[in-house]
This record gives sequence, C-alpha cells and structure tokens, in this order.
Amino acid sequence: MDGHKEFYDQYAQSQEKSVVNKMQQKYWKTKQTLIKVTGKKEDEHVVASDADLDAKLELFHSIQRTCMELLKAIELYQKRICFLSQEENELGKFLRSQGSQDKTRAGKMMQATGKALCFSSQQRLALRTPLSRLYQEVETFRYRAISDTWLTVNRMEQYRTEYRGALLWMKDVSQELDPDLFKQMEKFRKVQAQVRHAKLNFDKLKTDVCQKVDLLGASRCNLLSHVLTTYQTTKLVCTCLCYI
Amino acid sequence: IKIIVIGKWRLGVGKSCLLLQFTDKRFQPVHDLTIGVEFGARMITIDGKQIKLQIWDTAGQESFRSITRSYYRGAAGALLVYDITRRDTFNHLTTWLEDARQHSNSNMVIMLIGNKSDLESRREVKKEEGEAFAREHGLIFMETSAKTASNVEEAFINTAKEIYEKIQEGVFDINNEANGIKIGPQHAATNATLAGSQGGQQAGGGCC
Repeated sequence: MDGHKEFYDQYAQSQEKSVVNKMQQKYWKTKQTLIKVTGKKEDEHVVASDADLDAKLELFHSIQRTCMELLKAIELYQKRICFLSQEENELGKFLRSQGSQDKTRAGKMMQATGKALCFSSQQRLALRTPLSRLYQEVETFRYRAISDTWLTVNRMEQYRTEYRGALLWMKDVSQELDPDLFKQMEKFRKVQAQVRHAKLNFDKLKTDVCQKVDLLGASRCNLLSHVLTTYQTTKLVCTCLCYI
Repeated sequence: IKIIVIGKWRLGVGKSCLLLQFTDKRFQPVHDLTIGVEFGARMITIDGKQIKLQIWDTAGQESFRSITRSYYRGAAGALLVYDITRRDTFNHLTTWLEDARQHSNSNMVIMLIGNKSDLESRREVKKEEGEAFAREHGLIFMETSAKTASNVEEAFINTAKEIYEKIQEGVFDINNEANGIKIGPQHAATNATLAGSQGGQQAGGGCC
C-alpha cells in the first residue's frame, strides 16, 4: 500500500506543474476565497479544527488594538499633564504676586502656596520623560514586532485559503470514488498530494503564528512592566514632594 | 464488499495500523497522517467462496470530517475504532456512530474495535465498558492490537461474515451496488470490498 502511495505521490508531483492542474488548483482556491469574502457558511468541521488558531488570532488582534489605544491614551495624557502644569504654574505665579502686595499673614500664606504650586508644576513635567519613553517603546513594538507577526498571519491566511480550497477539491472528487477505477484513482491521488502539500505548508505557518502570538503577548508584558517602573517611581516622587 | 474504517486520527487510535496489519501483516508504529482516505484490499474465503474485501481507511482528523462522510456511501460494513489507552477516543464514539448511521446504508454492519490491547498497563477504558456500549447500540465488539496482530484478522473476517450472513438472509440486495456489494466475474467468486480506517471510532462496511 505504501509503495503505491509513494509511486502515486511522485507521479502526482510530476503532474503538479502541468497547466491543467494549475488551472484546477487556481479554480478551487478562488472558490474558497469567494466563499470567505462573501461570508458564506464554511464547513463547520474545518472551522472547528482551526479553533486554537482562531483563538490566537483573536489574541493577536486584541494586542494590536490595545497597543493602538495605549498610544492614543499616552498622547492625551501627555497633553493634559502639560496643560495642568501650565495652569498650576500660572496660579502659583498669581498667588505669589498677589501675596507680595498683601502685607498680612494671609499674604505670606498665599506666597508660600504659590511657591509650592510652581514647584509641583515643575515636578509634574518630570512625568513626561518616562511617558515619552513608554510611547517610544510601544511605538517601536508596534512597528517591529506587531507588523512582523502581521506578515506571518497574512502568509498563513493565504496558505489556509489554499488548504481549504484543496479540501473542497478533495471533497468534490470523493463523491464518486471507486478504487478499482484507475482513472478516478489517478485523479484522487493527484488531489491527495495537493492536499498533503497544502496541509504541510499551512500547518507550519499555523505553528509559526501560534508561537509568534504567544511570544508577542509575553514580550509586551515584559516591555510594559519594565518601562512602567520608571514611570511609577517618578510618579511617587512627584506625589510625595507635592504633599510635603 | 466495501468496508470503511472510521475514527479520529488526531487521537491516533490506529486505523491505518489495523489496515496494514490485515493486508500486509506488518506493523509500523509511525504513520503519515491519512489524507482523505487510503485503500487496502484482501481476498478471504468464507463458506468456500472467495470474497474480496475492499477496505477504505479514512482520515480521522476533524478537517476531513465532511470529506469522510462521502465515503460512507456504499459501504456494507464499518469498523468503529477507539483507543483503549485514551478515554477521549471512547467518549467520541457516539458522534461517530451517529454520523455513520446517518450517512450510510441502514443495514450496514458496524463493529466496535478497542485497539491497542497490548498496552494493558496504560488502559483507560475497561473492556466491560466497550462491551456495554456495543450492547447498547447493537454493535459487535472486539479488542484488537495492531501491534501484536491479535484479533485483527478476526475483526475484519467477522465483519465480512456478518455481512455475508446478511446477504444470505437477503437483507442486502446484491444487485444494488449502493450496498457496497459487487458480484465477481465468475458466479462462484463473490467479490467483496472492505474499507477500514483506524484512529477515531468507526470502521467500515463490506460488500460482496
């Protein structure tokens, strides 16, 4: 049985380059693409067999989305910090100038408060350094790691379409299969080699995608915990000083 | 006679090994993943009549499930295979059985096979459980080992016998090829095909 299989596989491989075969391959691939694009219902068992992969893709998209959101939030936060610091500074200046004109005890207190406000506005600006560092790191992460994974995902999707197309093809030739008819068997072996080939490619990319997404998630955690430590320290210093 | 073997490959219950043992009397521990279906054939003699069993070894992996369905058609018998060292393969039996009953001839002879009986120390499914399941669903039950070849012959031949008896009783219409039975060129020689797949849960039908 195995001898036959090898013979047929070799035979099928030599056939692979023929024009007719290319055309048929294209036909089934296009058909699968069409099914996907038009959102027609796909074979539930085929979809179910990719459940783990789809879960990883979901995770990937969430990483992609949340990184984007994080960047936007940092930007907004930076802006607000600037505004707040500016306002604080101005209020401080105002209190100081008013306080210097007032010779009573209240004037002294106003001056002291104004001084403290000016100081705190300075400290607040110090938060910007770790924040812009965070921004840069996340941005780089997005450009490098995420886009690299995205490329792999795209390649995988192409192979997936090819594989599912080949499965459709196989299903089609399986309808009237009789192993005693050489002509039919020949065709079946050809498609079988095609499916095996497509499956090999797809499975490899599938593993790649799963591993990359796992790695992506882990490295983001690592990155965040690293960069956020500086932010936290600065924030603490700032808060403490303000209370003093 | 056409017999198909069905079951889940991913769980590797050993459908392809059973077939190889039956047709070639060999055991090969590592197998390529079955893509769609593989075929095997062997002549046996029942009641003095030559019968050719044509065995269809189907892929058990989930993505091939709908393709596998088209192979049920025209099978006279099925071997439903599970792995005694893996409880999950046993738990899936019901779905496979439903699938088989739904997509095939209602008279199809189904035999339940608990494979890998040589791995007694790693057994997870008791023999009694297999027997009970078979009784409940009206199947014939056997434990086999594709490695030591124990009961492999018996499994296929008993299935063929069962089919043969049904033919004698007139349950199968031998003139209707959809039953998976074809009469050979000479009247005396009955031509039977048995298709089997190993792995998941079900195995084939036979026709003569």
